[in-house]
Amino acid sequence: MRSASLIALTTVAVLLFQTTVVPLLPFGALMPDLLLVVCVYLGLHFHSPAGALGAFAIGYVEDSFSGAVPGLNAFAMTVVFITVYLASRQLWVSNALSKVVMVFLASLVKAFAVLALLGLFLSLEGVWRTAMKYVLVEAVLAAAVGPLMFALLARTQHVAVEH
Amino acid sequence: MLEFLRRNQTLLTSGLLLVLALILVSSNARTRRFDDPLGAALLEGMRPLQSGVTRATSTLGGIWRQYFALVGLQRENEHLRQRILELERDAVRLGEVEQTNQRFRELLGFRDQLEGPAIAARVVGKDIKLTRSFTLDRGSQDGLRKGMAVLSPYGVVGQILRTSSNTAQVLLITDHNSGIDAVVQRSRARGIIEGALDQGCLLKYIRQGDDVQVGDRVVTSGLDGIFPKGIVVGHITQLHPRSRGQLLSTDVEPAVPFDLVEEVLVVDASVRPRGESAEGTP
Repeated sequence: MRSASLIALTTVAVLLFQTTVVPLLPFGALMPDLLLVVCVYLGLHFHSPAGALGAFAIGYVEDSFSGAVPGLNAFAMTVVFITVYLASRQLWVSNALSKVVMVFLASLVKAFAVLALLGLFLSLEGVWRTAMKYVLVEAVLAAAVGPLMFALLARTQHVAVEH
Repeated sequence: MLEFLRRNQTLLTSGLLLVLALILVSSNARTRRFDDPLGAALLEGMRPLQSGVTRATSTLGGIWRQYFALVGLQRENEHLRQRILELERDAVRLGEVEQTNQRFRELLGFRDQLEGPAIAARVVGKDIKLTRSFTLDRGSQDGLRKGMAVLSPYGVVGQILRTSSNTAQVLLITDHNSGIDAVVQRSRARGIIEGALDQGCLLKYIRQGDDVQVGDRVVTSGLDGIFPKGIVVGHITQLHPRSRGQLLSTDVEPAVPFDLVEEVLVVDASVRPRGESAEGTP
C-alpha cells in the first residue's frame, strides 16, 4: 500500500514535470511520454488490480490534462498495462535493454490503441497519416528516457519497502 | 469459480476498466460535450502545484536564457573589441602611410628642384647623441660613395662617411668633424660650417666687417666640391665677435630637424639647384 502511494506521488510529480518542464525542453512538438513509462513500470512490477487501476488512473489524468476525449488515454494505458503484464508473465523482462524495448513497443501499442478509438468513435479524417509521422519518434524518445524513469521508480519503491 | 476470479483478478479488473474507458469514450464521442467533472476537479487540485512549478521553471528558464544572452553579449563584446583593435591598427597604419606619402611628396618636390642624378634613401638607423650619424638603406651597390652630399627637403643633412654594399653611414653637419663651405645668403659673407658639441653648428672664419646678423639664412657655397650650391644649412642665432685674426664666428641652428628625418636624397657635387648656372652664379 505504501509502495502504491509512493508510486502515485511519483506519478503526480512526473505529471507535473511532463506538463510544466518538458514543454520547455528542446524537443519541439515531440515529447517523451513519461506517464507511459510509469504505466509500463506498473505492468512489469504491479501484477494486481491496483496496478490496472493505476494505469487507468494515469490515462484518465492524461485525458484531463491533455483535453482529449475522457477515457481515450485511460483505455490506451489500460491496454498497455495488460500487454506489458501479459508479456512479463511470458517473457523474462529484467535487464535494461529488454525494458527499453518494452517501452518502445508499449508506446506503439498505446498509439495504435488511441488511433483505433479515434477512428472508431470520432472518425477523424487523416488522423492516421498525421499520427504515423510522430509515433515512431515518440516511441524512441520514450524508450530513451525509459531507463532513467525505471531507475527513479525502482528507487522510490525501494525506499517504500525499506520504511 | 472464486479461484478463477482470484487468479485472474488483474486481467478481469483490466477488462472492466477497458469497458469503462470505452463507455466513457463512446458517451463523450456521441454527445461531443466531453464532460469530465472528475477531470475538472483534478485540474483544479493540480493548479497550485502546476503554477508553482511553472513559475519556478520560467524563473530558471529566464536565468538560463539571460545567461546565454550574456554569453552571446560577451562574445559579441570580444569580437567588437577585437574589431576596434584591428581598426585602430589600420588607422595607425594608414596615418603612417599618409605621413610617408607626404614625406615622399616633399622629397620628390625637393628632387625636382635639383638638376643631376640623386639617389633616394631611407634612414634605417640614427645615432645623434654620440657620433651624430645616420645609417641609410642604400650602399655602394646603389652608387653611393664616400663624400657624397646628403640632403633633405629641409636642407643639408651631412655627407657620406663610409659605405658598405647595401648601407651607408652619414656624418651629420652637427658632428664636430664635419666642415661645409657656406655663405650668408643675404650678404654673401663666407665661412665654414662646423659641428658643435651642443647639437648645433658654428659658422666660423667670417671676416671681421662682413655683414652678418642674427636671423640670416646660411646656405652652401658649392665651393667645397661636395655640396651643391644654395642648399639651406640653417640660420644664425648668435654672434661671437673675436679679435684674434679679425675673424668672427656665429651659432647656426640647422634647418634640418635631425630626429624627424626619415628619407634623404644623396647627390654628388655635379648636382645643383635648378636655375643655378654651371659657374655657380644664381
